[in-house]
Amino acid sequence: MEELDETQLKFQVDSLKLQLQIPREKTSVSVPELVKWIEEKMAEDPFLNTEMMRDNPWVESGKCVVL
Amino acid sequence: MGEMEQLRKEAESLKDEITAARKAVQDATLQDTVSGTVVVSRVQLKTRKTLRGHLAKIYAMHWSTDSKLCVSASQDGKLIVWDSYTTNKVNAIPLKSSWVMTCSYAPSGNMVACGGLDNMCSIYNLKAKDGNVKVMRELAAHTGYLSCCRFLSDAEIITSSGDCTCVLWDIETGTQKTVFAGHTGDCMSLAVPLDFKTFISGACDFTAKLWDIREGQCRQTFSGHESDINAIAFFPNGNAVITGSDDATCKLYDLRADQELITYQDSSIMCGVTSIAPSLSGRLILAGYDDFNCNIWDSLKAERVGVLAGHDNRVSCIGVTADGMACCTGSWDSFLKIWN
Repeated sequence: MEELDETQLKFQVDSLKLQLQIPREKTSVSVPELVKWIEEKMAEDPFLNTEMMRDNPWVESGKCVVL
Repeated sequence: MGEMEQLRKEAESLKDEITAARKAVQDATLQDTVSGTVVVSRVQLKTRKTLRGHLAKIYAMHWSTDSKLCVSASQDGKLIVWDSYTTNKVNAIPLKSSWVMTCSYAPSGNMVACGGLDNMCSIYNLKAKDGNVKVMRELAAHTGYLSCCRFLSDAEIITSSGDCTCVLWDIETGTQKTVFAGHTGDCMSLAVPLDFKTFISGACDFTAKLWDIREGQCRQTFSGHESDINAIAFFPNGNAVITGSDDATCKLYDLRADQELITYQDSSIMCGVTSIAPSLSGRLILAGYDDFNCNIWDSLKAERVGVLAGHDNRVSCIGVTADGMACCTGSWDSFLKIWN
């Protein structure tokens, strides 16, 4: 990481001013909503539901395939 | 006080204000919120296919949106498009420069892109009328290596570079539309969410940045890592970001609360994270490491719940299909493996 010159420092200060202004949600709102989203989606996650793997395109079904 | 000293003080003061603003909204932690949640049971994924054909280290892979085809890049100087179901090579594209570090599949399936130490991003048309895959555009302007590239559409692509910038390109004209400057170290990785309005980058300055594509500005900067961030991905719902670093940890950052939620680490893991991808629901995080393995983490409980062991060298890249049905790992051992 190099030392910043004056132009780069001005740019960094301007960028930090913008970044300070963004709206921030309380974690007591965003975290439970994130957890809820994940838990609802888990029912559709193939890595967590082995019955979804019954039709596994990467496993030979035993029949010959015409390429 | 000199101008520079004044600016430095102002920057530090703004950083302190951002830290305070983050603390002010930190009225709950992920750990507390999931204290009653049970860890997922052990996840055991098996290798279903091994894609053989590259003759040297694989540096990158990317799934097509059809969850069947994928593209890989190797320093044997080839891009290979694979039909992962049959392991057949759909295209084997010889590259002008063999020092490739990244590749990407366009969402349409019509193009692939790659780049590396040639400092360029080369776009290849897979659907040319004569059936030959040729270079369509060479996007040149970066003054450092191309570490990552991701298509927004057939008309636009974003690149990250060792020159510390990311660039949005117009593929048709081959020109830079926007330069995203701000990182103070090599940009190593980038990721685009489903709405294509923002993107995130991870760099050797140990930070991850969220950028507004149209405004061309950095909206948020995430610190915490103690070394280079090599890998970055969006959480499936677009509201969180996961990173993987040379500091041997992965982190989850909440975009809405603008802060780190949790770190995925274990005292037994001492090597760098090279690649990262969430499962469809985000409950599992798959991360590739320098020690030849891939660890599967329970994203909510921050515990390791599985391992993908099978490569004989560093896992350099990982990707989960859009339908969540499989994961692909690419390695310096020259093989790609499909797991589910």
